[in-house]
Amino acid sequence: MDVRLQNARSLYDERSKIALAAFIAIFAVTCYLFYSPGIYTIGIEPPEGIPSGWVRGFEVVYSFNTAGFILAVSLMVFVYGFWQWAFLPAPAATYTMAVLEGLYGSRAIIERLIGKRFRIKTGKGSHIDITCRIKESGTDQWFTYEAKSSRIRNPRLENLALRHGMHVKNDRITSWMGNDELHSRLILMSRAMRLATSLP
Amino acid sequence: MDEDTRQRAYEVIQLMSSLNDTRRAIVMALAHIYPKSVSGVQLSRLIGYSGKSRSLYRGVLSHLSEDKLILIDELTPKLYAIRINHEHPLLEFLVEICKEHGAEARELYEQALEE
Repeated sequence: MDVRLQNARSLYDERSKIALAAFIAIFAVTCYLFYSPGIYTIGIEPPEGIPSGWVRGFEVVYSFNTAGFILAVSLMVFVYGFWQWAFLPAPAATYTMAVLEGLYGSRAIIERLIGKRFRIKTGKGSHIDITCRIKESGTDQWFTYEAKSSRIRNPRLENLALRHGMHVKNDRITSWMGNDELHSRLILMSRAMRLATSLP
Repeated sequence: MDEDTRQRAYEVIQLMSSLNDTRRAIVMALAHIYPKSVSGVQLSRLIGYSGKSRSLYRGVLSHLSEDKLILIDELTPKLYAIRINHEHPLLEFLVEICKEHGAEARELYEQALEE
């Protein structure tokens, strides 16, 4: 694995740990903030025959404080999830951009999009979308990429894609690539796209 | 060698060199032992894979079968039969030349299977 990807991997491990630690700390603080100013109960009549201690405990749980607390925690989880979904660790993004720029140089426009995605515009309305996945769950594969071409209409597309080691999904040439295959297989994908657009 | 064969040979070389070590080893091993199919454990022994065979399935093998390079038949929920897709336009050619010229390599692969 490339040195930059190794750095990215340790950065990713580290940032998950830091995020977890921060989450625990913030969780404790939020808990204090929401329950210390006094309990704002949602007025309901407790059924008779329940000991008053139980009723008071129930009032603490069934209150606007709890609603606010749950809202705050879910907001935290949402922000963390978004952050994980949206951004690649910086060295991995540098690696990907370096590979793509080395491959296409100034002949194509390469855009970085939110959600660990890249788009290579190769001109004439055709493009390649690349999505990076940091870790395949249940495997020891890090940084795999899914590459998808733009829609191409050609009756021989399936055959062309297969001959370049890829498959077709919704008129797009698609394939998953390991980080060490990104360069070589993107060359093949570009070749397949060229053949598909030029041949009848 | 006629034009068509030369083009196919070129495309096979391009395809094989675009794959990474693990995938290339899988395709080569399966092409040699065709028409036999192997289980995941046997396959990891064939290619000298050090990790767990379960982790092969999720990443490498599922992607290879998506690209229709290999076929995976589910015999039971835990046992799979993995073989090369000999109807693939390029692998058909690869299987053919392996059968023609790869008898020695095939023997080595089969020894690895028996152990």
